[in-house]
Amino acid sequence: MSSKINFYLLEFAINSILRERYKNLFITIVLTLLTFLLSSMFFITNSIKYELNATLDSLPQIIVQNSKAGRHYDIESSKLDEILTISGVSEAVSRVWGYYYFANADVYFTLIGVDEFEEQYKETLSNLTPKMDFTQDSMYVGKGVKEILNSSYYKEYFNFIKPDGSVKKVNIAGVFDSNTELESNDVIVMSKENLREIFELDESSATDIVVKVSNLNEIDTVALKIKQKLPETRVITNEELRVSYENLFNYKGGVFLALFIVSIFTFFIIIYDRASGLSSEAKREVGILKAIGWRVEDVLKEKFYESFIISFFAYFLGVSMAFAFVYLLQAPLLRDVFIGYTDLKPSFELPFVFDIQTLVLVFFLSVPIYIAAIIIPSWRVATLDADEVIR
Amino acid sequence: MITLKNVTKRYKLNKVDTITAVEDINITFNEGEIIVLKGASGSGKSTILSLIAALSKPTSGEVIVDTKGISKLPDNFASIYRRDNIGFIFQKYNLIPNISVQENILTPLIPLNLNAEELQKKLHFVMEMYKIEHKKDTLVRNLSGGEQQRVAIARANVNNPKIIIADEPTANLDEKLSLHFIEMLRELKALGKTVIIATHDPLFFDLDFIDREIEVHNGKLLL
Repeated sequence: MSSKINFYLLEFAINSILRERYKNLFITIVLTLLTFLLSSMFFITNSIKYELNATLDSLPQIIVQNSKAGRHYDIESSKLDEILTISGVSEAVSRVWGYYYFANADVYFTLIGVDEFEEQYKETLSNLTPKMDFTQDSMYVGKGVKEILNSSYYKEYFNFIKPDGSVKKVNIAGVFDSNTELESNDVIVMSKENLREIFELDESSATDIVVKVSNLNEIDTVALKIKQKLPETRVITNEELRVSYENLFNYKGGVFLALFIVSIFTFFIIIYDRASGLSSEAKREVGILKAIGWRVEDVLKEKFYESFIISFFAYFLGVSMAFAFVYLLQAPLLRDVFIGYTDLKPSFELPFVFDIQTLVLVFFLSVPIYIAAIIIPSWRVATLDADEVIR
Repeated sequence: MITLKNVTKRYKLNKVDTITAVEDINITFNEGEIIVLKGASGSGKSTILSLIAALSKPTSGEVIVDTKGISKLPDNFASIYRRDNIGFIFQKYNLIPNISVQENILTPLIPLNLNAEELQKKLHFVMEMYKIEHKKDTLVRNLSGGEQQRVAIARANVNNPKIIIADEPTANLDEKLSLHFIEMLRELKALGKTVIIATHDPLFFDLDFIDREIEVHNGKLLL
């Protein structure tokens, strides 16, 4: 027995596929769609995970909020001084931020206020602040915001409607970049002074206070001390935020899981159908091949080539389509299932994340299963007496 | 030389019942002989052919071909034995209908992975011998019964086996084509092949080149 590849057997397998072209085309289409769906879900999940991890890494260590009637409410800036007296606190910054609803596009923007000489709690803001002109009514906007404003013909400035109905015009000074799309896409950065005017927030109030501790292991201890000193506030650590972000993501993960289960279930129905037996015509063909001198391993090799060609082609096509769908077309329809864990709608680009493990996982969930579904019934028939099969 | 020694073959009908196809058969077929096994349908002729071709195993007894016992050969060795020694012409030809004539003829040689030149030589030889070369690219399902049988014979001979087994070879042919087949048998004899034919077609009886006619009745040989 020669160990080199038997191209005649390969050719026979290809001809065998072409002989039943309509049936095999249908199977290829179904397998391709399943691989595509599965890969798309994994690719979207990978992209969001990547974004989420980057976002979580940039979260403040401790956030101190005020609440009124169970809802987040403005906090007095004077509490900042009280927090700074707590041992273990290295820095504390009062933040001014909030959401602004832009009715034209039915989206919310996140507005963040910064001060020229203030220590910034995020790298993105630290990089941005030196570029800003605090003497002007100007702002830097995220990419998604810029696109939305452009489409509404606000190319150079934007008119914010204040709570009293009057308008505050702010010029667009530029578009800023960030490490993560999630973090920056819907964000507008301007001076605290302008933001206070837009939100009608007085000088003595802030949205919340972010706290930095000297020793990372003491975050919980410092948080507890703040809680004891300011019992009326809500103190949130970055770990708690991480959990709540992850919970939100896992909720979406549940939807993903449901889709995943449906697709796998469908796939296994097909596999079960194939594994439950060969058609009488296929059985007869195996019997003929045995009768004219093919060994069991020759039959199985031929079936392996046949099923590998179909399943690998479907896998390759499905994964390629998923790459194009997710990273070029930005997964229309499907991404709405995963993204939107805030009420924000500005466009969000799924970053390209190449994860070989995902490709291997999708491969093992499709190709070997399909091959097994063909090989097992063929092996059962091939090991019977050829006489019995032909008769 | 093929020897069947005390061969019995029983088929299971279900978990309890069995049917005896052939019982305690003892016979020897000499090299180069043409033998006709005649008898009614269900008499056990096809079972004898199947045992000689190692397509099934005897329930008891032994089938010996050239001093080698083939009745207990493991499946893979049985396939190799068939590939090297047997050319089987089935009653319904058992061709693969939706591939071409030449692909059908070459099928037994595929696992051998021969070089293209050798393969073409063998193909050309049998296609010319059985006058089917002009149809080599035609799908088998588009051939007439007689042409299909010529393809079946060509396939049975492509690996140049020393034993040709034919099970009811003229069952689907008219008299003219049957006589043509008989002429082909004469050529096979000239080539020194051992040919065993199971048939109840009277055209095969009392032919001058047939060495022996053996009656099979209820699974036994009437010698």
